[in-house]
Amino acid sequence: MISLFRRSLTARAVLTTVVLGGISVAIIGSFLSYSLANSFYQNRLSQVLTETERAVDSVQTTIAASSLTDETALQTLLNSVVPSLEIVGGSAPRQVALLRSPGQGQLQLFQSPISQNLDLRSIPDQLRQEVRNAPGRLTYTPVSLSEEQSDVPGITVGTPIAIPIAGDFELYLVYSLSAEQRALELVQNALAIGGLFLLALIAAASFFVTRRVVAPVEEAAEAAREISEGKLDKRLPETGQDIIATLASSFNKMAKSLQTQIERLDALSRMQRRFVSDVSHELRTPMTTIKLAGEVLFSNRSKLEPALSRSAELLQDQIERFDRLLSDLLEISRYDAGAIVPEFEVHDVKAVASAAIKSIEPLAKDRNTTLHLIAPEASVRAEIDARRIERLLRNLLSNAIEHGGGKDVTVEVGENLQAVAICVTDRGVGMNRNELERVFDRFWRADPARQRSVGGTGLGLAISKEDSALHRGWLQVWSKPKVGTSFRLTLPKTKDEVIANSPLPLPPRGLES
Amino acid sequence: MTHRILVVDDDDALREMVGLVLSASGYAPVFASDGLSAVDVFKAQNPDLVLLDIMLPGQSGIEVCKSIRALSGVPIVMLTAKGDTDDVVAGLEAGADDYVVKPHNGAELIARIRARLRPISDEAITVQIGSLTLDPKTFEVKRGSHQLSLTPLEFKLLHTLAAKPQQVFSREMLLEQVWGYQYKADTRLVNVHVQRLRSKIEEDPENPKIVMTVRGHGYRAGSEIQ
Repeated sequence: MISLFRRSLTARAVLTTVVLGGISVAIIGSFLSYSLANSFYQNRLSQVLTETERAVDSVQTTIAASSLTDETALQTLLNSVVPSLEIVGGSAPRQVALLRSPGQGQLQLFQSPISQNLDLRSIPDQLRQEVRNAPGRLTYTPVSLSEEQSDVPGITVGTPIAIPIAGDFELYLVYSLSAEQRALELVQNALAIGGLFLLALIAAASFFVTRRVVAPVEEAAEAAREISEGKLDKRLPETGQDIIATLASSFNKMAKSLQTQIERLDALSRMQRRFVSDVSHELRTPMTTIKLAGEVLFSNRSKLEPALSRSAELLQDQIERFDRLLSDLLEISRYDAGAIVPEFEVHDVKAVASAAIKSIEPLAKDRNTTLHLIAPEASVRAEIDARRIERLLRNLLSNAIEHGGGKDVTVEVGENLQAVAICVTDRGVGMNRNELERVFDRFWRADPARQRSVGGTGLGLAISKEDSALHRGWLQVWSKPKVGTSFRLTLPKTKDEVIANSPLPLPPRGLES
Repeated sequence: MTHRILVVDDDDALREMVGLVLSASGYAPVFASDGLSAVDVFKAQNPDLVLLDIMLPGQSGIEVCKSIRALSGVPIVMLTAKGDTDDVVAGLEAGADDYVVKPHNGAELIARIRARLRPISDEAITVQIGSLTLDPKTFEVKRGSHQLSLTPLEFKLLHTLAAKPQQVFSREMLLEQVWGYQYKADTRLVNVHVQRLRSKIEEDPENPKIVMTVRGHGYRAGSEIQ
């Protein structure tokens, strides 16, 4: 539930509106109910006072008109007063009490006449006191009456009345406000139902309004997600002229400019790759001629005078270097163009590693470097493009020999259930952190100051990285200055497998310390 | 005897340079600079081998290859740009025997040419395979009295397989013994040529009876009957 509110803007908006609406409805309802009750009461009160005045007048007139001589006559007269004033039943019943004020001599046989159902609690003592202190005036108080087992409001009005012979009396009229109470309850019920209905209406309205606002926002969010996933031509519908339409049109403008930018960059990058590929391609024919011509000069250098002969040698070296560079450039441009079609076949990785070692042996001998192969007894089979993997290993080996400072270079082969790994480790100069970060960058060289004689092109590791990615493998490097460098190639055993971990540790055992 | 070699290339400098390299190695080069003239020069000069650039203006190298193949079984070595995989296969299917990737060096080129011009060994004997008779002296393949026309390379391929019937030859072995490669080369050379050979000698090339595929290993010569 809480998460729904956190997630859904609509739920939050509706809840807030309903809570605020509820508070407003409650305040307005209470105020209406209070002022209605008050006005009902005031109306009835003035009516009650008028009626009472009239009743008192008639009682006084009756008493004045009679010539009271004895207690019996008095009692009869008083007894007649109550029924004459009483109203039983109907919508506005009235009860009457004629009470003798206390503190007077006891009258024999005399009874204070009261209405039959009158509960004397509805004439509170405090009122009686006030009545006695206010001769000639009407005094009243709101009371609570019991009527058919429920309490209803009422008004008790009283006034002192002097009766000859008998002394001081107090006349009380008790009016029921049950009709007003019923009317008020009716109004209150109507108010409550109306309030609830209003709340439901507010909830529905806020829901629809919020949906109208939120839906386009959600749509925009969805569109933004799609664009981020590469559907650059995704657009929002633009209708109307409101803020939502403005949002849509701004969004579309943004998406369009993004699309234009990306497509422009894409085209540029395609053009550039195309250019590299075309240039490399175009260079091939003249390169062939130059190569052949250089060879002719080189193989006949003994017939040339020393300066020319040396020139022929230099020419030959540089042609070879240029040739390697061109072929690496071509290879990487084919990767960039996505034009590489690997030829996967099941091969013994151990044999591939041996072949790579064998082909690099002359260079190793030249650098007084010994190459060691550590591999399991059995063949280590994996589905690979053997030509590329051999080239990759040759490249790693040539780097290891070049930077290994004449110390031994180890090639370790390992396997687990999903993957095979080949680790090429030298114990040479190593690299620091900054150098490590750039080691796979194109044309980056570990130490530009150092003289290069192996003649790498600066593209070797970049191509190796591409080759390993082509196999959905990993090519990782570990290095420590003055300790050595280790490249670990991990390849899945079948080309569709995903590797989870490598069979060999990196850094390799025994080199970490 | 000096072998005459037709060099077909649209680049003047390269054509001349290849000519120099060939002359230095004792061959007699003749030249054509585009596809259309190549076939005419071929007819006029009747060379022993054709060095053919695939990317030619006018008629493409593939077309030239087909035209020459229609006239003769002369060895054709293509010059291709590396990585143009489709071109290599198309060229081989059009009848080229071998290919050299540009930029190549002289030794590589001469080695390919030598391998293609090397005559079949004198000790080669006439062999029978199925209903076919192979005579290495005349390069003739006969089914009964009916003569089949194979290129020298196809003949050599079939003869190599047929000389040791039932022995399985891996693609690498065939590359070494038929094409003369000392190191690893493109196994597609073998695949494409076996297909071409089958289309000429098998009665049903889809269901070969003479050159059999041994899955995962290579090829062997089976017998048609028996």
